[in-house]
Amino acid sequence: MTDRMPALLNINGEKVETEISNSDFLLETLRDLGLTSVRGTCGIGICGTCTVLVDGRAISSCITLTALHEGREIVTSEGLVGPNGALDEVQERFVENNAFQCSYCIPAMVLMVRAYLDGTEDPTVEGAREALGGNLCRCGTYPQVLEALEALIPEDPV
Amino acid sequence: MSETFADIPMIDARERVTGAIPMTIDQAMPGMAHVKVVRSPVPHGLIRSIETSEAARMPGVRAVLTGASLAELGVDPYYGGLRNDQPVLAIDKVRHEGEAVALVVADTEAQAEEAAGWIDVDFEELPFVTDAREAMTPEAPPIHDEWPDNDCGTWRLRHGDIETGWALADRVYEAEYTSPPASHVPMEPHVALARFEGDVLEVWTAAQAPYMVHTALKKTFGLPDERLRIKTFNLGGGYGAKGGVKIEPLVACAALAAGCPVRLVLTRPEVFNTLGKHAAHIALRTGVKTDGTIVARRVRAVFNAGAYAVSSPLGAGQAMTRASGPYRIPHVWIDSTARYTNTVPTGPFRGAMTSQLCWAYEQQMDDIAHDLGIDPIEIRRRNLLSDGDEFITGEKMHDVHFDELLDDVTEAIWSRGPADPAPAGRARGRGVAVMIKSTLTPSRSEARLRLDDDGMLTAFCATVEMGQGAGTTLMQMTAAYTGVPIERITIPLPDTFQAPFDTTTASSRATFSMGAAIKDAARKLKDELAGLAEEHLTTTAGELRFEGGTVFRAAAPERAVSYADLLREAELPALEVEGVFQSEGGMATLDPETGQGQASVHWHEGAVAVEIEVDLQTGKIEVLNCHGACYAGRVISPTRVRQQNEGNIIFGLGQALFEELVYDSGQLVNPNLSDYMIPSILDIPKRLTSSAVESLEPDPDVHGVGEMTIPCIAPAIGNALFAATGVRIHDLPMTPERVLRALRAREEAS
Ligand code: FES
Ligand code: FES
Repeated sequence: MTDRMPALLNINGEKVETEISNSDFLLETLRDLGLTSVRGTCGIGICGTCTVLVDGRAISSCITLTALHEGREIVTSEGLVGPNGALDEVQERFVENNAFQCSYCIPAMVLMVRAYLDGTEDPTVEGAREALGGNLCRCGTYPQVLEALEALIPEDPV
Repeated sequence: MSETFADIPMIDARERVTGAIPMTIDQAMPGMAHVKVVRSPVPHGLIRSIETSEAARMPGVRAVLTGASLAELGVDPYYGGLRNDQPVLAIDKVRHEGEAVALVVADTEAQAEEAAGWIDVDFEELPFVTDAREAMTPEAPPIHDEWPDNDCGTWRLRHGDIETGWALADRVYEAEYTSPPASHVPMEPHVALARFEGDVLEVWTAAQAPYMVHTALKKTFGLPDERLRIKTFNLGGGYGAKGGVKIEPLVACAALAAGCPVRLVLTRPEVFNTLGKHAAHIALRTGVKTDGTIVARRVRAVFNAGAYAVSSPLGAGQAMTRASGPYRIPHVWIDSTARYTNTVPTGPFRGAMTSQLCWAYEQQMDDIAHDLGIDPIEIRRRNLLSDGDEFITGEKMHDVHFDELLDDVTEAIWSRGPADPAPAGRARGRGVAVMIKSTLTPSRSEARLRLDDDGMLTAFCATVEMGQGAGTTLMQMTAAYTGVPIERITIPLPDTFQAPFDTTTASSRATFSMGAAIKDAARKLKDELAGLAEEHLTTTAGELRFEGGTVFRAAAPERAVSYADLLREAELPALEVEGVFQSEGGMATLDPETGQGQASVHWHEGAVAVEIEVDLQTGKIEVLNCHGACYAGRVISPTRVRQQNEGNIIFGLGQALFEELVYDSGQLVNPNLSDYMIPSILDIPKRLTSSAVESLEPDPDVHGVGEMTIPCIAPAIGNALFAATGVRIHDLPMTPERVLRALRAREEAS
């Protein structure tokens, strides 16, 4: 058993004091804190359902140790919802386009798209689609996700 | 009168996107401990001894269980539904690598895992078999003593007279086709929690069939209904993986042994080790006239059941009824069998026991067409079943729409003129496939409606929401059938203490059968309301209407009285009614010698057409255009029907092009998502469309749409590949290596 130690995390804009051990993965820490939109599937960094934003970059929380992220800005899907319950525009477009079935994979896709938009000067639907290449959805909701992307990223008619 | 339905989004759309919907994996029970399972490293072996004393002394450990110690718990150690051949933990022997042999319950997951590592199992390895056809041979090791020849279910169908059929045929075609084992990969793993609360056993589980879990646990623990409570939540994907009973008996036994609530979440490799898709070998012999009319067909189908029966004894029979395709064939001979092997048990799988067969008969159809110089679409038209035709089970077909489906898919792909010429080094082609599938018969759904005196209605039903939108669709149906506005309706998550019996949420049956049960309950509710309303409805002119939560005569809408007022006047706090749907017939009623009888209450119908491009240098197939169509009877939600049709195609693309579980020396070598890949957003067809055919009848059956396009996608691609290159692949998946090898072989031959 590894010893537990206090940790100060910055999650969704709030300081969270908790206890972690050196071997805790970020995925489990976040879920234990009740952030259940972050979900595990493969556990090896392949499927993307555990995506979170750290300092604006999308990473797989299942293969990174919590201890490495003290002091960094961690954002989960819960954190995209505004104080009065307003949805982020990526979330809005997903809702409007029925871009979900069982929805296990969806909050992570939303974060991935958010990171792509924030980190790209001239976002394109194709670029967003490529960014989602590592976010797997077994229900096959990809067509509706693409429709959400098209609504989100209006492209100049060629 | 036929109801109208609006295409409303899922009621919890917002929570689905933000991640707030409750799933089993998010649940906790106060004071719960954690379970870790010890699994077999060998595919087949006798258990000589299990050393657990070290593990039992580890910190935090509350209980250690083995197959032998189950007896001390006083539980029935076997489960399985059809055959009850599966031990909660291996007893005396293991039958597949990854089988549960022992378990540890500890305060934390880490402690449970640590302790599990200290359990030492000594095996005497036995010869093993992983191939179903080898398992049928006399040399094969027996896997279950009570089932000779490793027979897990054998069925035969004899329709017409096959010898007459061969005599009528101008030509006879023979070929063999195979499908490998595959995995469902629901993104949410199997997870269950259990506790004994007073004398009630409560189990919360990610399962598609709360009542199958209920039936199984009743037997395990010998409990009466009122002492057993099963709850389910929103599923993070099922596709058959969570049908029937899986980890629940193990988790409940762990709770009993530990004397506290427990939770078990399977790791991804463990999910791969829990259930898979049947590998299959299909030998097909077909006799045709020179005009393309099929006169005789013989099918020999062998399915790999894996180590335990699960649904295979029945599945082999269902496969039999689907084996000759959606065609009118007078002389048919089918042998269908499932055999035990030392591999992961196989069971329900989106479109399964249909996909493996469709892969065979639809590819052979194109070979026949090619050989006879008939267009592939035309040869299908000449043979497809129509209303009133006799099927191979002897039943008369009704609600048959294959012609329309074929029109839909071929128009979508062919109507855009000839295929654009492929770029250099590539070839393009188009292909089509059609399928027929039975639905689970007999089956039963019950629904209970409670109307409260504030006008709110609660519909209790055990249908599980797994992304198909059943919750919302059933809510729409409840609103339409009862006249209560949808915003006043709730459907709580399934809980066997509240929701009456339902067979399962599988086989694309929920909308059809639970919808019918709700309709039946609504009729009773309206009868009661009409009785209460009598004195308000001063006129008898015009029909009785139930709308907006009120009842009135069409001739006097101004005298409408609300359901809430009627209840309050009668001093009834609530009105409760129950409705039932029950289908009859099914596999058990077929003649065992001939397979004749009514196999299915109705038949599922689907079709897919594709246009593909093949890279001749690498063998890689890309789907450019794809259209899928199903017969829906009646569409409640076009959005959700589309998501099923297109989601199926995407799911099935995986098994068509790259998914395969690989065994080496009896070991499953790729139980993880890096070595077993599933389709990503970069793998889907460039253009993917779909349609649903509806009945023109006034009040048609609502047909399920959960798996109508998946069986067709692989053979449609296979046919397109043949059209593009002239090579025919007989073994799934159509990997680049396999396609390239076939292209090379053809080059060398010419
Ligand atoms: S669970 Fe982290 S990438 Fe799959
Ligand atoms: S919506 Fe089910 S896995 Fe993506």
